[in-house]
Amino acid sequence: MNPIAIRYTIIWGAALTGLTILGVYTHLAELALERSEFITGYTLFAVMLALALFNARKKLAMVPLVRSAYWLAIHVVGGISAVVLFFIHTGSIWPSGGYEQALAVVFYLVSLSGIFGYAVQRINPRRLVQTDLEIIFERIPAELAEIRENAEAEIRACTEETGSDTLARHYMETLSWYFRRPRFFVNNAFGGDAGQHWLRNQYRTVNRYLNDAERAYLDRVNELAQTKAKIDVHYACQSTMKNWLLVHLPLAAALLGLMFWHVIVVNVYAL
Amino acid sequence: MIARPQRWDAPFGPEMSDADVERLLALPEFASIDADDFPKHTPLEGILRNDTRIVRYRAGDIIVREGDYGNSAFLVVSGNLRVVIAPALPRNLIGRQLSKKKNFIEALGQLWSNRTMPEVRDTSRYGGQSVREGGSQTQTDARVFLQDIPAVLDQHNTAQLGPSTLFGELAALGRVPRTATIFAEEEAELLEIRWQGLRELRKYDPTWRATIDARYRENALKVHLKSSPYFDGLSDEELDEVADATLFESHGSFEWHVSYKRMRDQGKADKEPIIGRQGEYPDGLLMIRAGFARVSIKMGNGERTLTYLGAGDSYGYDELWASHLGNDVSLQTSLKAVGYVDLLRVPAPILEKYVFNKVGHHVSSPLHHLATRTVAQDAPLEWAVEQRFVNGTMAMLIDLNRCVRCDDCVRACSSTHGGNPRFIRHGRTFDHWMVANACMHCADPVCMIGCPTGAVHRSLETGAVVINDDTCIGCGTCANSCPYNNIRLVDIRDINGKMVRDPDSQKPIMKATKCDLCETNPGGPSCVRACPHDALKRVNFQGDETFGAAIT
Repeated sequence: MNPIAIRYTIIWGAALTGLTILGVYTHLAELALERSEFITGYTLFAVMLALALFNARKKLAMVPLVRSAYWLAIHVVGGISAVVLFFIHTGSIWPSGGYEQALAVVFYLVSLSGIFGYAVQRINPRRLVQTDLEIIFERIPAELAEIRENAEAEIRACTEETGSDTLARHYMETLSWYFRRPRFFVNNAFGGDAGQHWLRNQYRTVNRYLNDAERAYLDRVNELAQTKAKIDVHYACQSTMKNWLLVHLPLAAALLGLMFWHVIVVNVYAL
Repeated sequence: MIARPQRWDAPFGPEMSDADVERLLALPEFASIDADDFPKHTPLEGILRNDTRIVRYRAGDIIVREGDYGNSAFLVVSGNLRVVIAPALPRNLIGRQLSKKKNFIEALGQLWSNRTMPEVRDTSRYGGQSVREGGSQTQTDARVFLQDIPAVLDQHNTAQLGPSTLFGELAALGRVPRTATIFAEEEAELLEIRWQGLRELRKYDPTWRATIDARYRENALKVHLKSSPYFDGLSDEELDEVADATLFESHGSFEWHVSYKRMRDQGKADKEPIIGRQGEYPDGLLMIRAGFARVSIKMGNGERTLTYLGAGDSYGYDELWASHLGNDVSLQTSLKAVGYVDLLRVPAPILEKYVFNKVGHHVSSPLHHLATRTVAQDAPLEWAVEQRFVNGTMAMLIDLNRCVRCDDCVRACSSTHGGNPRFIRHGRTFDHWMVANACMHCADPVCMIGCPTGAVHRSLETGAVVINDDTCIGCGTCANSCPYNNIRLVDIRDINGKMVRDPDSQKPIMKATKCDLCETNPGGPSCVRACPHDALKRVNFQGDETFGAAIT
């Protein structure tokens, strides 16, 4: 068993044990006619606070606070456990009461965005490796600009050398759209092949009107387009891997706020 | 069209004059040499003119530092020097960094003390450094000097080195750290001989060869032999005999990083001089002293790498053992220098006499490898050798199948280095592995060669290669030497955020920066700790086992 599997096994074991103990304790509390919602509610509140600490840990990279990989494992297992806890706490998937329903909506959105983020972070890195190209996200605009310049230089050279404007016209009409900025974002993000399909189609479309000299230029432009297609995949996948946090984190912050108010209200009216 | 580059196009000391060469030829060390022993294309006079330079030191100037790597030896022409025997000079006196580990609170303090401006330094601390310019007024000629020589002589046991003393030759030829610190006791004139010239002098003049070899036999060879399992248990007399019969060889180029970078830029593989060729008969056991060598076997129209050897490894024993048993066996594999290799050749008769009967055959052959590994399994190893990553002892290896490109590692590095990251999350890739542009803390740290102030050095505490920011003069020698482009020169700013400039030239002051493995921070490299996805590891490429474990 590799160290990562061992780590997750241990943390899952601890989470399941904790949930079991909580379940038994809650059951006993109910038998004793006590308010089990307080036990599950405060436990859920504590778990949510602990989950939020993962983000704080990232800001404190300069101090040895246990490896971030352990924090992520706890965050993932804790997050899934929190969903179970939530159901135990509310007793249903849709609580009664307007405020509680709002709380539930935000909770579900945080959970779903977290699951989406986890899935994306497990799938996308492998897709990026399969492009056979590695690029830093912030350098993508510069790379695309360079590719566009090279493509346009090829087009100009083609016109100058062959005296034909067929390729240039096709570039102006169609290909310039492709080279202008990242394209097929959604399709690339979901693993589609629309970009390649579009390129193949454009290649075939114009190829029939070119002579051998012009085809050599088209081939070079196509090579640049292939590189750009890989960069487009990087743009889509890396954007998704970064931007899901822009949903998850504000929602998590909102959830914490709603939870604080919920705790205050519950305590005020319960006492 | 340009003229074909020649060996001496770039002399070691461009200011060497005819008069200087004549004066050197009159020195007893060179007057006794028979110039006819040297080939026409490498005359003695040419060596002195192109492979040496005369360097003048002022009293207190440190000439070599303990722990430094260097590729030149020194001959004292005039003046007296002092070699520090014990105790060693304090590290701050010789331009080293006194690294103090931060405690938890100090480390946490970086949260608010890190600057938003890049590369901010407290420039007031630079004033107290004992660094002065050398005779040629170039940056690379700057020196660290001792301010209080009487105090040093009083507090440390030293020995005097007078005119005609040769030193530094073992470190220069063997690519090993210098073993002592030597400083000028008074005004002194030294002849610095770069390793190429030293190698020629040793090769063509029997007196120089005898002197250098005797020094090595006396100082290092017996220790080296004793540490080898082949010669363990031999008596002193027997070891003396082995040492006397052992030959010294070096293959490849000291400046391998230069040709490697050039070939890499051209997209080609660097040349690897052949030390032992598959199919030839071995005449002795080869023991690696320094550097790396590739063990390969012919496969199809190419060569398949079976393993690579580093310091302490040996080659050829299997075949010699088979010959000892009466079988007619030629070398089953080839051995090639990966960059530079310094090795010992122990002749077969010596093995017959002292080793075979005692050691027998306990060492497993690299050919076992063929039965257990596929070509595909060996591809990462082949790549690591090709890219010279085998030099790395703490290379940053990123599993791109796990890396989500979040840059938490870069931010962690930045937060532990005053807001300035010390690596780039980019580098050469193989399959889903990337060796990022972070200092690999090399076994053969070519960046340390030529640092004029000794600012680049190995940490005594961790073995990491670190740069003392206080004594770095920003000459760029280390950055130019690093074969992997892992050292960066940065323009520095003062605490007010203003660029620091040289008052005379108005040029910005630069400092060399690189990964220091978070030496002063608690908890080890923060990049590794910060990776939530277990994608980033620091890997010792030396030894297949470690590398194999990292990538499986």
